[in-house]
Amino acid sequence: MPWFILTSKSDRFSEELLIKPLYSDHLYVHFQFATKWDTNPDQESFRHTHIFPRALGEIIERYNVQELHVSLAGGLWRYETWGYPILDAAPGAEVWAWFKADTEDVDKNWKELASSLSGLLCASLNFINVDNSVNPEYTFKPRGVVSDQKINSTYVRYASLPREIVCTENLTPWKKLLPCESKSGLASLLNSGYIHNVRYHSIAIHMRPVCRDDACEFTSLELQQSVSLVYDYLIMGTKNWSFRKLFGQGLMGPCPLSENSVIFVDTTSNVSVPFQLIPSPDDYITSVRGGHVSTFAKYNVKPYAMSINANYLGKESVLLNSPPSLHANQYITGYGQERGGIVTKIYNNHWGALEVVVLQNIPWYVPIYLHTLKIDVNGVRVEPVGIHYIPGRQRQRPYHLEILLKLPPRSVASVSIDFDYVFLKWQEYPPDANHGFYIGSAVISANLPLARNFTGLPQDGATIADSFNASRRGYLVQVRTENMVITLPTPDFSMPYNVICLACTVVALAFGPLHNITTKRLVLTVKDNEKLIVKIKNRIVKAWTERNSGSDVNQSVQ
Amino acid sequence: MPAEKSEKYVENRPEQRCYKTGTILLMYTVGASIRYWLIFSRYQSIIGNHIEVSTPLNSWKRVSEGLYLQSKGINPYEGDLLHEAPVTMLLYRTLTQSLKLPVEITFLIFDIGTAVLLYFIARRYMFQLFVQQEESKEEYSEDSKEFLLAGPDFLNSPVFVAAAFLFNPYMVFNCVGLSTTVFHNFFLALFLCSMLYGSILLSTVSLAFCTMMSLSKIRAFVTVGVFILVMVSLKYISTVLSNGDAFIKNVYGFILTVPDLQPNIGLFWYFFTEMFDHFRDLFICSFQINATILYLIPLSIKFRNDPFLLTTAVLFLISVFKSYPCLGDVGFVLSLLPCFIHLFNYSQQGFLVGVIFLITTALGPILWHLWIYSNSANANFYFGVTLAFAIAQIFLVTDILFAYLKREFCLKNGKDRKIDGKDALLILE
Amino acid sequence: MVTQIIGPCWSVKRLGIPDSQIILMIADDMACNPRNPRPATVFNNANQHINVYGDDVEVDYRGYEVTVENFVRLLTGRLPPGTPRSKQLLTDEGSNVLIYLTGHGGDGFLKFQDSEEITSQEMADALEQMWQKQRYHEIFFMIDTCQAASMYERFYSPNILAVGSSLVGEDSLSHHVDPAIGVYIIDRYTYYALEFLENVDPHTKKTMGEFLNVCPKRVCISTVGVRTNLFRRNPHQVPITDFFGSVRPVELISNVTVQPLVTNKTQKKAPALPKKYRYVPPLVDFKYLV
Repeated sequence: MPWFILTSKSDRFSEELLIKPLYSDHLYVHFQFATKWDTNPDQESFRHTHIFPRALGEIIERYNVQELHVSLAGGLWRYETWGYPILDAAPGAEVWAWFKADTEDVDKNWKELASSLSGLLCASLNFINVDNSVNPEYTFKPRGVVSDQKINSTYVRYASLPREIVCTENLTPWKKLLPCESKSGLASLLNSGYIHNVRYHSIAIHMRPVCRDDACEFTSLELQQSVSLVYDYLIMGTKNWSFRKLFGQGLMGPCPLSENSVIFVDTTSNVSVPFQLIPSPDDYITSVRGGHVSTFAKYNVKPYAMSINANYLGKESVLLNSPPSLHANQYITGYGQERGGIVTKIYNNHWGALEVVVLQNIPWYVPIYLHTLKIDVNGVRVEPVGIHYIPGRQRQRPYHLEILLKLPPRSVASVSIDFDYVFLKWQEYPPDANHGFYIGSAVISANLPLARNFTGLPQDGATIADSFNASRRGYLVQVRTENMVITLPTPDFSMPYNVICLACTVVALAFGPLHNITTKRLVLTVKDNEKLIVKIKNRIVKAWTERNSGSDVNQSVQ
Repeated sequence: MPAEKSEKYVENRPEQRCYKTGTILLMYTVGASIRYWLIFSRYQSIIGNHIEVSTPLNSWKRVSEGLYLQSKGINPYEGDLLHEAPVTMLLYRTLTQSLKLPVEITFLIFDIGTAVLLYFIARRYMFQLFVQQEESKEEYSEDSKEFLLAGPDFLNSPVFVAAAFLFNPYMVFNCVGLSTTVFHNFFLALFLCSMLYGSILLSTVSLAFCTMMSLSKIRAFVTVGVFILVMVSLKYISTVLSNGDAFIKNVYGFILTVPDLQPNIGLFWYFFTEMFDHFRDLFICSFQINATILYLIPLSIKFRNDPFLLTTAVLFLISVFKSYPCLGDVGFVLSLLPCFIHLFNYSQQGFLVGVIFLITTALGPILWHLWIYSNSANANFYFGVTLAFAIAQIFLVTDILFAYLKREFCLKNGKDRKIDGKDALLILE
Repeated sequence: MVTQIIGPCWSVKRLGIPDSQIILMIADDMACNPRNPRPATVFNNANQHINVYGDDVEVDYRGYEVTVENFVRLLTGRLPPGTPRSKQLLTDEGSNVLIYLTGHGGDGFLKFQDSEEITSQEMADALEQMWQKQRYHEIFFMIDTCQAASMYERFYSPNILAVGSSLVGEDSLSHHVDPAIGVYIIDRYTYYALEFLENVDPHTKKTMGEFLNVCPKRVCISTVGVRTNLFRRNPHQVPITDFFGSVRPVELISNVTVQPLVTNKTQKKAPALPKKYRYVPPLVDFKYLV
């Protein structure tokens, strides 16, 4: 098979796999596929693409997108016990995008972008519309590079669809965006029957412009595609994991188009819960990041069949979980279907104060009252540093609330707000109206000073290898909370004609007498005492007697 | 002269009591203290949260939200929670923040003020009735003299009106529930009072205020010129206050297009919940026409001799057919009923109406609770109760109007209902 | 019941129709439903253990998107602008279209999502619109519901061959239950139809006439209804691959000369000017706000 060595081509692809045992009986598996294309994103027409997927490129070019982040997740990431993932994703579907500064109608581009993405990923992203999108002011700043001094938040849009499910039909087109698809390389391990049998499953696409080099005078286009999975040992049946148990097969070889194809196994927990890796790793890497040391075992993917097994040596200590610095929960309060409240509880386990930004994207059918916003930290009422609030309008705009808070060390902050239950028109209810309506998760962003239990990528990196020894001033986490479901009161769906008839009857009951009163005069008329039935009886009797008398006459004549 | 005449009548009928001033003041005190006690008790939130008392138009929670947003520099009309006009928001802001009055006391003061105004309204109307009666005495037939009103009636009716307002549970709940219909009723009473006393300026100003608050009163204007002038100036002030015209869509567009389908005691909500989309505009138009202008002209022509009765009947119909009625509207017009004490002899459906009112008032909250909290009933139950309530009100108003016509006929033609010795019926044709 | 719809999808893919020419509408999420003990799998029957959900299924309309309006718009082509290509039926006057419907139905309607129905008249009108707009050459209409024959009784457009799993007044019955999941996974007619198709390969000589007889009354219990009067050809002379398969002839060429593309374009893209780019700090610093 002829190999075209294209040295003049300007894009590079790398694939990595990270396997990390988590505190509880779970195993975190993360696939990271990164493409970097040294082209000018502003001028590229995406007609000739090499490794970069053309399907995505056409969408980006058509809708003038500067940055695109799409994620589909099933399950909830448990921050308290699992730490932080490499890339966060809210349960359901989440899309946010920055448009270029010369975009004329951002809302129209956003809607059509969502439609195109729904066709690309086989998800119902076409339900994203102006009435469930917000433009966050503080939370979703551009991840890529920008040349302007001022960031204008009118060019960003964020929407989440908590009801979306993620299944094989989303994985299939996602895999087709990879250069080797699922035929070779690490992507061949993505067998849907295995990777959906997990506690947490998420696929994501992140596209952004990055610095081409250190001088950062030119930009390149970077595409990250990732799959995050959290396996449960109970479902697998055993703690000794292997490629066969995780993916149903071994690895046949690297993707020929990738620059490097590596597998990392996080061995930091080997100290407390030791396990043995078979075959032996090619290399050991120690990463010191933000004051925390992690060790990794590294495997280069060989061009022949390989598989990694881990055998637990059975010498287990009792583990204590130290929860991460920041995690949050969200829930609904109240009873009945008239009014309720949303409470977001944020836990700061760090020994210092943390500055957080809480973003709530509340749908228009959950009208919130800002004057009922209460923030209690350890039971004491506090005022937030700032609030950005755009009230929603029914059927037009959701409620957009961003709260800037300073959390004192080792505290629990509880942000609560009241809302009313609304009554919708009967065709606005989904077919399963009594299932309820979803409220998306809140996004709590903070810059953590420490990188404990943190695996996130640095802002200027795209691969897992970039995150080794990547100490920075702050480590961005964006914690997503749970979704919530509220059951709105429903009308009787079988009643439209009945209701119309009854209401119109009442109107007629008013109209009739009033019409009579105003158009007629009161007069005295002789009382006709006979009732109707008596009248009929009299008439029948009269007719009968006439007939009888007629026949009598006839008879008498004869 | 009228005062002398009334005293003469008092002398002629010593057996009928007149209420002294002391009794009246005691009545007001009791009414005020009932409200005071309830408003500061733990029942306030239950009453205030009930949908029959607070609708999207008059809920104080939404006004507080609007005031809070204004204080934070966010335009409250950007969202669609607030449906009060900017001028009224200014009024509330002045009352609560500048004057630092507790909200409950403000409501109490305005409610008692409305009661006082109603007393004067009734007194003035009774006086006018008396004058009219004296003037047209000779037109009446001989045997209908007993139907004429007498002195004690003239003096007692205002007391009954005030009592009907003070002790009416609808009005008590309206005040305790902190619904802004209290202010609305105050301005409405001011309008009625000034209309009866003949002061054009005050009546148009208060009517304009009323209209600003709620569109439906636009029907009953007195003098076009002054009214338009006042309306225009109020609109200008509103635009300046709210930095733009967004409030128009929120306030008047809201009343006219009925986007919020929260249940209330009216007919609109369930109708438009179940309505097909392509018929929506047609039915919105027809319902709004029905609520506002349909009965205005015919009733004005027929009852031109008694404008106060006309106004009361129009207010009744508004409170039945408007898009977001509440108990305050119904209670206000009910408390005006004792003015027409002379018509009660002719009304036929008093018992029926009274019973339906009792039953629906009791049943409404129960079925609401079953639907929303217990999840065992459904929306149809509550809808049925609101239908019955509307029917009761309709029966009441048609009965009163019909009674008026019958009384006029009897006064002119006598009590006897015989033509040539045969029994005759009084019918409309 | 999702096997019902995935099974034929899998069969036609096996016989050569690419994903880009299949539009799949599934209202319920079965494969990745939390109650499915084997996530992301749908087996065609309890014995054979072929995972028809496979690794390459693409569902174009799912969940709340499956409505009567979307279905009719899809058939007639009147979709809102911006609809992606995978959600459009891009057919023309030479295309043979296979339409397979399954679910709960009755006399003259098919139920969508527990809240609405498509009536046989609407179906017939939609197909007539397709004919008027020359969006098909021939249609094979398969429907597996109760009283299925009522759905095609009202068709009046030419070149439609229709088969329903039961006549008016009869119910279509399920084949077997999967005790692990607890639901009936496939109906009798579809089961025998798929069994027939499994023995078909892309070069088969089998005809549509044989396919129409695939489920006699003794196995299907309901009577399979067929409507051929609108179809111009004799079904016994129509190969089954006309509707179920797609055979694209491929010719291998060994001699290839590639001519370099001569571009006369002298205009080149202006080279990008260096600018100063920077990464934006992801979170605003609070001291700039206070």
